[in-house]
Amino acid sequence: MIIHRQLPALLALLALLATFHAVAEPVVVVNASNGIERLSRDEVINIFLGRYRQFPSGLAALPIDQPADHPLKAQFYQKLVNKDLAEINAYWARLIFSGRTSPPRQATSEMEVVEWLVRNRGAIGYVDHSKVDARLKIVMEFTP
Amino acid sequence: MRALWKHNLLFRSIAMVVVISSLLGLLTMSITAAVTHKRAYETATTRLHQLLDTVESTVQVACFVGDQTLADEVAQGLLSNSEVMEVTIIAGKQRLAHRQRAGTSEAITKPASILRRDIYSPFNTKQVIGSIQLAPHLELIERGIQDEIRFVALQLGWQFIVLVLVMTGTLLLILRPIKAMSDRLHHMDAKAGERLSTPKGHAHTEIGRLVDDVNALAGRLMESLEEERALSLQREMDEKKYHAIFENAESGIFIIDSEGRLSSWNPAFERLLEVPSSKAIEGALHLGALPWNNALRLTELIQEVLRDNIPKTKDLSLHLQDGTRRWLNLVLSPIGVNLLQGVVHDVTELKEAEATAKLLAVTDPLTGLANRHGLEAKLHSLVKEYTLIQSGGYTLMLVDLDEFKRINEGLGRPAGDEVLKVTTTRLSNCVKDNDTVARLSADTFGIILHNVTLGEDADKVASRILQALRQSHFIDGSPIRLHASISIAIFPHDGVDVPTLLRHAELALDNAKASGGDTAVFFDPDLAEVAEQRRHLENDLRLALRNGDFRLYLQPIVDLSYNRLAGAEALIRWQHPIRGLVPPDAFIPIAEQTGLINDIGLWVLDAACAQLAVWEQDNRDLHLSINVSVRQIPDGLPPSALSEALQRYGVSPVRLALEITEGVFLSDIEKALGWLKAVHEIGCRVYLDDFGTGYSSLSYLKRFPVDTLKVDKSFVQDMQIHSSERTLVEAVVAMGRSLGLDVVAEGVEAAHQAQLLREMNCRYAQGYHYSRPVPIENFDIAAERVAALLATPAQ
Repeated sequence: MIIHRQLPALLALLALLATFHAVAEPVVVVNASNGIERLSRDEVINIFLGRYRQFPSGLAALPIDQPADHPLKAQFYQKLVNKDLAEINAYWARLIFSGRTSPPRQATSEMEVVEWLVRNRGAIGYVDHSKVDARLKIVMEFTP
Repeated sequence: MRALWKHNLLFRSIAMVVVISSLLGLLTMSITAAVTHKRAYETATTRLHQLLDTVESTVQVACFVGDQTLADEVAQGLLSNSEVMEVTIIAGKQRLAHRQRAGTSEAITKPASILRRDIYSPFNTKQVIGSIQLAPHLELIERGIQDEIRFVALQLGWQFIVLVLVMTGTLLLILRPIKAMSDRLHHMDAKAGERLSTPKGHAHTEIGRLVDDVNALAGRLMESLEEERALSLQREMDEKKYHAIFENAESGIFIIDSEGRLSSWNPAFERLLEVPSSKAIEGALHLGALPWNNALRLTELIQEVLRDNIPKTKDLSLHLQDGTRRWLNLVLSPIGVNLLQGVVHDVTELKEAEATAKLLAVTDPLTGLANRHGLEAKLHSLVKEYTLIQSGGYTLMLVDLDEFKRINEGLGRPAGDEVLKVTTTRLSNCVKDNDTVARLSADTFGIILHNVTLGEDADKVASRILQALRQSHFIDGSPIRLHASISIAIFPHDGVDVPTLLRHAELALDNAKASGGDTAVFFDPDLAEVAEQRRHLENDLRLALRNGDFRLYLQPIVDLSYNRLAGAEALIRWQHPIRGLVPPDAFIPIAEQTGLINDIGLWVLDAACAQLAVWEQDNRDLHLSINVSVRQIPDGLPPSALSEALQRYGVSPVRLALEITEGVFLSDIEKALGWLKAVHEIGCRVYLDDFGTGYSSLSYLKRFPVDTLKVDKSFVQDMQIHSSERTLVEAVVAMGRSLGLDVVAEGVEAAHQAQLLREMNCRYAQGYHYSRPVPIENFDIAAERVAALLATPAQ
């Protein structure tokens, strides 16, 4: 009897927890009109770390990073290549010199990331799972 | 080279050190080179790997993004290291960068030495995305290795040189002196006194000690060699000497076997025994075969020596070819099994001299008569002879010239000898031709009358002799009259052996002498008895002296003038263990005859001095007189003994008086006078004892200054108021007074005698009237009695 009376409260708590989880979970997204459905982790790494700048379909990839101080950026690279931002910055520092490739576009705000994704068909970025809407398509999720 | 190795220890040692050191050096060097080489390669590789480590992450990035610019940058950076020759970076199939050092060709780099490393994706550690190849600059590395090896070799090289030098030096230090010693020792002439010299600086090292020891050894060796040489030289000399002695000896030396066969002899032997030279003789020569007078005695001698195994000697005579006889003394000594060594010498002269001596021994050279030995020999042979035939006999007569001594002393020995010669002739004329006349001592002759056994026959001969000897002798023209005493002993009646017969004859002679001489006395057995007793007495006297059996008795002497005790006369008594107290008359004559009187006299002197010392200590003014026999003057009681005894007891000499008898005037008056003078000088007084019984010559008294006269008791005892004795005593007293002599009257036995003496003004008296002689220890009692007697008014 007691359980029946409290069940609604319990469900609310569970929902809260789920929401919180969704904030800390970056997902790789592209323009919804991009024909691609899924990307492997290696393909994501190659694009974001400057090896190849095109999708498997041949479409040029335009990667964008969250603002430098946004926690999502650190979270993303941590999950992707297990490196912190300092290491990532050091990596880019070596390559910038030769000019062969360049780091992803650096957004100044979360909004700008979404805008970039919506405006360019070849754009690719990462956002919090909760921010995904119909204009965007998730191509890779980090399995916990 | 081989010879050097064989003979030179120094060379051998140094060569070994060099060879072993070289081998060791080469081995060490090759090992070091190999190790160094390997290590250098490893080091170079490690360094290149480290180089790769530093660029790996950048190469990963370059390969990941295919950045040729970055890769080329890295390759160039690697080439800045001099050890890197060539760098190639490959990503996938694409060669990102390739850089090669300028001035080198591809061919230099060996494919095997190229370092290759796979490059993994910086984001996926499992994904190989390229590779980097690095070719090392081998030439450079090799050059470094060579440098290192050269350095090591250099180091080893000089260490080796130092080692060889040190070893060689050490060896030289040790071996050089040894080699020097060895070389010197090899050529050293130790006999010439050469010795090893101590190497410089080795005086106190083992080498120095070794040198000293070797030298000492050499020295000792030389010494023993020298001794050995000296010994052999000595042996040689000894041999020569003994040979010379053998050859040149005056004595014959020979060796015989038990059969008497001669095996060796010397020239002297040939000479003495008249045998031909040993070389000339063929076959054996027998000692016994020589012309001995008695070859049997030689055989005996040989057998005795062999039996007793000790050297023995015998005198043997040998017939010479010229008919004379040679006496040889033969000494045989055993020298081994059945071998005898003999020495022989000529004793012919000795034997002849002996015979002469024998003749001399039985003959008196002065008179040509037989001497005592001759007479005894004759007596012995006669005793033997008559004992054999058991009948017959002979008479032994001893003839002694009375007072012969006076002739010798008064007229000289030649005169005495003349008298003896004449006496000899007279004696010979008195007996038969076959009778024997001998001279026994200075003036004693012995005569053997053969076959005379009857006393009357003997007496006739004796009378004849007495008669003949009474004849005057003329000495230097002056007639001297002599007579003789004769004793007669008849064999076998008066003795069955020679000593007894002689002794008995001598006893009888003493008897004849004692009876005044100029007479013949037969032996009387009683004489023998008396003589025997005297001998016993003499022995007893000697014992008594030794045992201290004599006693001193004192008889007081009274001073009549002062009516007091003046002193005493010391009289000797003999406390005989069996016979009791023996009076002096019974033993003094014997003591005088045997000379024992001297010892007895000294004992008396000692005892008297002891007594005087006691008196002096008690402050008693007493004199003591002791009797001195004529025999004691002058040597029996020498003045020195007198003063010695007085000093020893600390006695004043004036207290001791010596009583002598008139017999002293008959002795050697000069010596007696000397003695008297000496006694007076000491301070002792001298009494003339028994005055009136002997010569009592006034002239003697004058020459012989005594202090006191003792009138003999025979006069005193017979003294009556009107008798000649009284007159005589009175005369003596008067004479004494006129000569300044005191008079002691002896034998005072009655009060009236004392009274008479007092009236005569006789100073001293002695006798039973006052006291008998008392033992010395009782003298004080006697003295008191005398004092009491004197105190009685009637006395």
